[in-house]
Amino acid sequence: MASSSSEVKESTSRGDGGDRPNTKEDDRKEDNLLECNICLDTAKDAVVSLCGHLFCWPCLHQWLETRPNRQVCPVCKAAISRDKVVPLYGRGSTQQQDPREKVPPRPAGQRTEPESGNGFSGFGFGDGGFHMSFGIGAFPFGFFTSTFNFGEPRPNVPAQGTPQYMEEQFLSKVFLWLALIFIAWLLLA
Amino acid sequence: MAQNVNPLYEPQNTNSGKEGEMVKLPQNDGHAVTKRLHKELMSLMMSADQSISAFPDGENLFSWVGTVWGPKDSVYEELKFKLSFQFPNSYPYKAPVVKFVTPCFHPNVDTQGNICLDILKDNWSALYDVRTILLSIQALLDEPNVDSPLNGLAAETWTKKDEYRQHVMAMYKEV
Repeated sequence: MASSSSEVKESTSRGDGGDRPNTKEDDRKEDNLLECNICLDTAKDAVVSLCGHLFCWPCLHQWLETRPNRQVCPVCKAAISRDKVVPLYGRGSTQQQDPREKVPPRPAGQRTEPESGNGFSGFGFGDGGFHMSFGIGAFPFGFFTSTFNFGEPRPNVPAQGTPQYMEEQFLSKVFLWLALIFIAWLLLA
Repeated sequence: MAQNVNPLYEPQNTNSGKEGEMVKLPQNDGHAVTKRLHKELMSLMMSADQSISAFPDGENLFSWVGTVWGPKDSVYEELKFKLSFQFPNSYPYKAPVVKFVTPCFHPNVDTQGNICLDILKDNWSALYDVRTILLSIQALLDEPNVDSPLNGLAAETWTKKDEYRQHVMAMYKEV
């Protein structure tokens, strides 16, 4: 079976005669376009840097590993990093791969959701408004009144970045540490 | 890290569920390096450039001998320089060690043949290959960096062409 089909191929390729070398040349050029810039072979698990250069992910990963302090594109020396490459997914190309060759896994493509107006608000949970507070009252009894409050009615969280937000973060850290020190003291005493 | 450095290390059972952390890369074995060196050799042999050439030194593909002709209209014109290439197992992630075998009077080449060239040190890129190294060295011959010389005399006399040429010819010895 196999031999006959190859014969057919042979005869058809012989058929096109004159322009064959030309197409072969074109094919080779085409191949070169898809070659990894590091191993010079056809790119496997291909990724493209933001500056547009093609690599095998294992090749590029190793390049980044060998110089963790100065990660630059081997071609144009633009800044490059794990997060700044885009994987190329050909049609059905990633299925039958030896998992060993997947190591380390290629960074995933980034998919941005289209904007869809305002999301829901109201639940303290949904929009990242999770609070944990640790209150200390009359020691030692008040210690146990510490509560977790999930979305209880309480003043709105100030927007991230505002001085008030920073202040609250700072305060909550201070109290957390205080609580930890008390616990440590309790245990040691 | 050690696993990635030592090409002889072959982890036997890496598929035990902790992939993704620290597993030997498929690229970092002798085979990938050999494959790339073969490709470089092929493209060098196909190229029409007469002024540079390189070929493996005997059986060992990790050691090559290259030749560079001095650039036209330079003091090195008509002189042929031999260079040795030693490829590490981590090639092309690490640069090969390149040395002049032919004695060369040049500000950036010392008496042992060591070359001070940025792309062979900090500015190495995995993209560079034997051909680009040879071309860079050829360019370096006529455009030395006299500010950080390995050969002080060469750096001092660089501007006095006649004297410089005499030094070059006195040191040159075809091998």
